[in-house]
Amino acid sequence: MNDGVATPLENPLRAGLRLWRTPEPCTVVIFGASGDLTSRKLVPALYNLARERRLPGGFSVVGFARRAWDDATFRQVLLEGVNANSRARPVEEALWASFAEGIFYHRASFDDPAGYARLAARLAAIDATRDTGGNRVFYLATPPEAYPEIIAQLGAHGLNRSPEGGWTRIIIEKPFGRDLESARDLNRQVLAVFDEGQVYRIDHYLGKETVQNLLVFRFANGIFEPIWNRRYVDHVQITVAESLGVEDRGGYYDRAGALRDMIQNHLTQLLTLTAMEPPVAYDADAVRDEKVKVLRAIQPIASEATVRGQYGPGSVSGRPVRGYRDERGVAPDSQTETYVALKLFVENWRWAGVPFYLRSGKALPRRVSEIAVQFRRVPTLLFASTPVNDIEPNVLAIRIQPDEGITLKFSSKVPGQAQIRPVTMDFRYGTSFGVASPEAYERLLLDCMLGDSTLFTRRDEVEASWALLTPILESWAAGPAQAFPNYEAGTWGPAAADAFIARDGRAWRRL
Amino acid sequence: MSTLPFVDSATIEGELQRLWQETAETATGGQAVTRALTLNLIARATDPAMAERISAVVRDLVASHPNRTLLAICRPEDGPPRIDAWVQANCLLSAPGVPQVCGEQISIDAHGAVTAQIASLILALLAPDLPVVLWLPGPAPFDDPLLPRLLGVIDRLIIDSRDLSNPVRDLGRMAAFDRDPGTPSGAARRAALSDLGWAALTPWRELIAQFFDTRPLLPHLRRLDQVDIGYVPVDGRPDPLPGLLVAGWLAACLDWTPLEDAVSIEGAALRLHLRRPAVGVGPRAIRLVTIIITPVTPAADAAPGLATLRLRALDGVAADFQVQRADEQGHILTSAEVAGHPPVRRLTRCVAPSLADLLAAELRLLSRDAMFSAALQTAALFAAQIERLGEAIEP
Repeated sequence: MNDGVATPLENPLRAGLRLWRTPEPCTVVIFGASGDLTSRKLVPALYNLARERRLPGGFSVVGFARRAWDDATFRQVLLEGVNANSRARPVEEALWASFAEGIFYHRASFDDPAGYARLAARLAAIDATRDTGGNRVFYLATPPEAYPEIIAQLGAHGLNRSPEGGWTRIIIEKPFGRDLESARDLNRQVLAVFDEGQVYRIDHYLGKETVQNLLVFRFANGIFEPIWNRRYVDHVQITVAESLGVEDRGGYYDRAGALRDMIQNHLTQLLTLTAMEPPVAYDADAVRDEKVKVLRAIQPIASEATVRGQYGPGSVSGRPVRGYRDERGVAPDSQTETYVALKLFVENWRWAGVPFYLRSGKALPRRVSEIAVQFRRVPTLLFASTPVNDIEPNVLAIRIQPDEGITLKFSSKVPGQAQIRPVTMDFRYGTSFGVASPEAYERLLLDCMLGDSTLFTRRDEVEASWALLTPILESWAAGPAQAFPNYEAGTWGPAAADAFIARDGRAWRRL
Repeated sequence: MSTLPFVDSATIEGELQRLWQETAETATGGQAVTRALTLNLIARATDPAMAERISAVVRDLVASHPNRTLLAICRPEDGPPRIDAWVQANCLLSAPGVPQVCGEQISIDAHGAVTAQIASLILALLAPDLPVVLWLPGPAPFDDPLLPRLLGVIDRLIIDSRDLSNPVRDLGRMAAFDRDPGTPSGAARRAALSDLGWAALTPWRELIAQFFDTRPLLPHLRRLDQVDIGYVPVDGRPDPLPGLLVAGWLAACLDWTPLEDAVSIEGAALRLHLRRPAVGVGPRAIRLVTIIITPVTPAADAAPGLATLRLRALDGVAADFQVQRADEQGHILTSAEVAGHPPVRRLTRCVAPSLADLLAAELRLLSRDAMFSAALQTAALFAAQIERLGEAIEP
């Protein structure tokens, strides 16, 4: 079997309530292994999985990069990375020693065919010595420009198919394309070599517990779904705010911007999970079918329904921050947006006429992500004669980060006075479940090794979201230059964004 | 914490309310205090030292299962009849800016004859509409007078088989309770049984199961001939119970049937004899499986419990799967040696779970643990034969 789809293993020892399946021994090949993502996220995630007994014996990692390193250097770099970034620190020496026996470095450049031929031989050798059974995960953690070359080379050397009995899968990091055209091209290139069932387009937001809980929350509770529609919901606000600027990613970011970097992937995922219909089953295709339906139901977004911003100098959390145009790798007259707010409508029976406001930006006052469902106001007639003419509407807010949880705001009478005041009911992950939430990458890497693609983006999903956003990018590009910067770092975005939502008689949530 | 002058449920409830109000008023730094309850936990202690140990575990439990704990300290033999009660909040230390989460604890200390009244007080103090769990630590949970009185309201009884005074005999009582807890007819729920000793085996079961998530190795699971289980005795006293539970688990999962004479005793070792379907020989062919449970000579600081677990296929293609303690710092070595495959060894982490961890794991279960039931019934069958053989196992 080499289509990447797992057949269920009937391991009778797994019967019962508590023992979770572990993946089969496999080799994860990381392209771009000398990069930041590898030592900051991927290998710490793999180490934590190994530490928590979620990985089988024989599990191996091959780092593929150009730098003149050997196995020992690579292991040392990763050890430092894990020591600096793992949620379980410091690394336990004995454990690391056992884990590191399975870590190898493969020096080659992405466009060198001989490097891939040697990789194939190396993987076969690992199969033979560590009993990994021909199972491979290729992880593309390189700049996106390198994807087509790597994919083509893997195909040319037969690495897209495993030897008898094993499976091969490929994980592709964001950004997946930079517009509809390029996303389609990339899909074509990937699918010329791999089957869709082998392809795992990663969006680490989907690995977050609260995001997964969104479906449980909506569909495992009887009280929310009946009011989750246009009759009761006034509007929905989805915010992903970052307090950091572009840091050292200026070169990449200046060609991307907030719409590509955040809206196309993370916010779109949050939107589809919030708006989707109940899937017929909790499996990869049923869930993703419903998400795609949401994207298809969204009306084209006019550029008037968007607001762009770019931060200038200011201060975040008491620290001075340079303006975006002063960042390294950014053009001094850059027109790239670091803030986007937009309004869209999902035109289906559930949501017709309910606006969804999305906003995301860099150098905002706090790092916070949330989905807020604001319900319609009650008719205030009953309390019109009391000093409570401004009863606030109910808001259900689902916080993704920093502290994951759900709050419900409702009105309550102040004791002893004829006053009504909003109060919140608060559920926090960290307090109702003592277990620390695993890192998003841990969950997603494990899912991929187990052959579950529910939390990965499917081909039609990625194209549907680009189809929606590409016209905005085009009309921005065709329009006049913006008077950037238009918001100070450390503030909640440009004034135009406040005016934009105020025109509808609404306001952004204070976060 | 305050001692109440009169003990009745209304006074205690009032005292709890006062406690929460006080906590809210004195909360420092503008931090909200969140009272959270996910279940009622009734725990019984027989003396103040045990009560202190239970309180410590319950405090750790707030993180994962904030609850209303009803701690009953039952001292029927001790002093003139008297009941004291006090309330306290069990709070998690919290990070700045994060609201503090607290559960609540009601302690009831009963002396003398009135100890018999304690169940009725407990019934009046249960937080409504939440699961009720009864935890009876100690050597004789099934003889506890609280048990029959509370049987009609509890969802789960938690014991610790590692505390039992006579584990081999009491295995039969565990199995009997699991089959039929004796819930009064007409009761809305039937109590499930949880054993913290079984919960402590989870990492071992997990590591064994992991070998066979690998497809090429899975077939070997059906051809095992011998299982060796080594354990560290408790204070030098042999206790084959964890081994019997593991044997019961393997038998239940793999369709192994104990033979009529299923047990023989050789010195300190127990040999269990079972049969399994033979692979690829025909539908009715069977083969024998031997499970050997042996105490091992421990290192000076070794904690009691399992030390090694080894599964082998000896006939035909040799296959050998081992899980063993690598040190006393919570590291475990696993190895798989199968003819035709390279040997795979790895060191992994498996720190012995604390009592609070084990309790939390059991409280996470909402239904009966069917696998535990199956393992327990088979283990009890072995235990009954050991009893019949009437031989003490020499340490």
